[in-house]
Amino acid sequence: MKEFIQNFSEKVQTSLKTLPAEEIAKALNILQAAYERDGRIYIFGNGGSMALATHWVADFNKTIFDSNLEKHSRRFQAIRLPSTESEITAWANDIGYDMIFAGPLKNYIQDSDVVIAISSSGNSTNVVKAVELAKEYKVPVIGISGFSSDNKLNQLSDAKIFIPAEKGDYFLVEGVHGIILHMMIRYFKDYFDHLVEREP
Amino acid sequence: MIVVRAPLRISFVGGGTDLPDFYHRRPGRVISTAIDKFVYVVVNRTPMIDKVTARYAITESVEKLEDLKHTRIKAALTHHGIEKGIEISSFASMPAKTGLGSSSSFSVALIKALNAFQGKKIDAAEAAEAASHLEIHLVGEPIGKQDQYAASFGGFNVIQFNPDESVDVAPVLIDYKKKLLFQDSLLLFYTGLTRAASSVLTEQKANIDSKFQTLSEMADSVPEFADRVSVGDIRGLGAMLHQGWLKKKSLASNVSNSTIDDLYSAGINSGALGGKILGAGGGGCVLFICPNDKKDAIRESVQKVASEKDLNEFREIPIKFVQSGTEVLYNGDQAQFPLA
Repeated sequence: MKEFIQNFSEKVQTSLKTLPAEEIAKALNILQAAYERDGRIYIFGNGGSMALATHWVADFNKTIFDSNLEKHSRRFQAIRLPSTESEITAWANDIGYDMIFAGPLKNYIQDSDVVIAISSSGNSTNVVKAVELAKEYKVPVIGISGFSSDNKLNQLSDAKIFIPAEKGDYFLVEGVHGIILHMMIRYFKDYFDHLVEREP
Repeated sequence: MIVVRAPLRISFVGGGTDLPDFYHRRPGRVISTAIDKFVYVVVNRTPMIDKVTARYAITESVEKLEDLKHTRIKAALTHHGIEKGIEISSFASMPAKTGLGSSSSFSVALIKALNAFQGKKIDAAEAAEAASHLEIHLVGEPIGKQDQYAASFGGFNVIQFNPDESVDVAPVLIDYKKKLLFQDSLLLFYTGLTRAASSVLTEQKANIDSKFQTLSEMADSVPEFADRVSVGDIRGLGAMLHQGWLKKKSLASNVSNSTIDDLYSAGINSGALGGKILGAGGGGCVLFICPNDKKDAIRESVQKVASEKDLNEFREIPIKFVQSGTEVLYNGDQAQFPLA
């Protein structure tokens, strides 16, 4: 048992030591720019990635600002897509599973917005379709993917947050994705707390 | 109606190497950041009015596009094949000709707005390229293209101009602490002296052969400047800015003048680590890098010079760096989104 735990831990540590720092920095710049122009951030993914997206939205919209809720005149506007279960099932049942993200995204998307797409394989058809829509609208795309760098999501993204791993190692990739998403939250929380300290 | 916003910029080193006579021989390079002062362009469709209306310092309303006086709006509309049924207005948080790149910010915003008006979406590189083409080729201004790229992309960037006319924009990836440290070390003053970039650049262009070595050194110093920004070396940045300014002054006789020299000396003598004139020169804004505890002394001494020289519009301009570039903030064009 100890050996298994040790092995898994080492894989995670190796992955964390080689995070794509420059691409994460680009992603932070994209989010900063969206904040400045009051644009919205749409985030989506399947299964565990959808759970990551939902978790991230709660932290990004609330936790970043909650030390000084009254002092920030503007907060992030992050939205997990689709935002209701009814939309997921309606698009999947009536139109096709491929459209569960691209369908609702088209209802919302405007020039000032940003997209974050999460897919461990980077090849989920429904995720790729939504990212193609975002590219058509020329909005910046942060792609969070894994396994092999030639995956479609990674190719299409402006900030290419890619975690190399053995094909099928969702456990490692989704875990590291969770850390990176929390890193983004931590960065902006520190930043906004710092701004209040500077100009209380 | 469509509303587009473009930021102004402050450039640190490498200005002048974005002129084709230089970068056709070897790559030019500048480092600059977008700031929280903006130009807005508003475009409105007027299907019941067969005119072109342009509202800026004055209002023009013409039946024939060729009668429009505003050269860039006229050229852009001609290029886009729009001859009537449109009104275009511009708004800005700063006066024109301050050296903060506002005329190119206007062009990028205009290009983005006219594309949106025609139902086309373009990215930052396309908007910058089209705005450069508009100003340099369609209107024939003797300017470079650093400002179009700075305004279009936003943020803090090293911009490289390649001999084949391609442009690489590489963001300087610094965290908020380094960004604020650098931002807090800057003091910016508007001199109240205005000039059109073209008058200085025309002479500078003619001098490119004899100043090729100086310009090459300026372009080559850009990566070092970016490295010093990354580590927060304010003292080193000040020294580099000062060296860059001395080089820039040598490029053309009218980059500086006695008023600017006096303002600059006053700042340096009161503790500034370096500084420069923003824009092509001859007027505009003076920028200083300084330790925080010297700011008040510098403010006092440059204000004294400004009063002696009767610079009535002289004032400090507080700035923040921004990440946002030229953006369509609102698109409610009725042709594309009919109400019913």
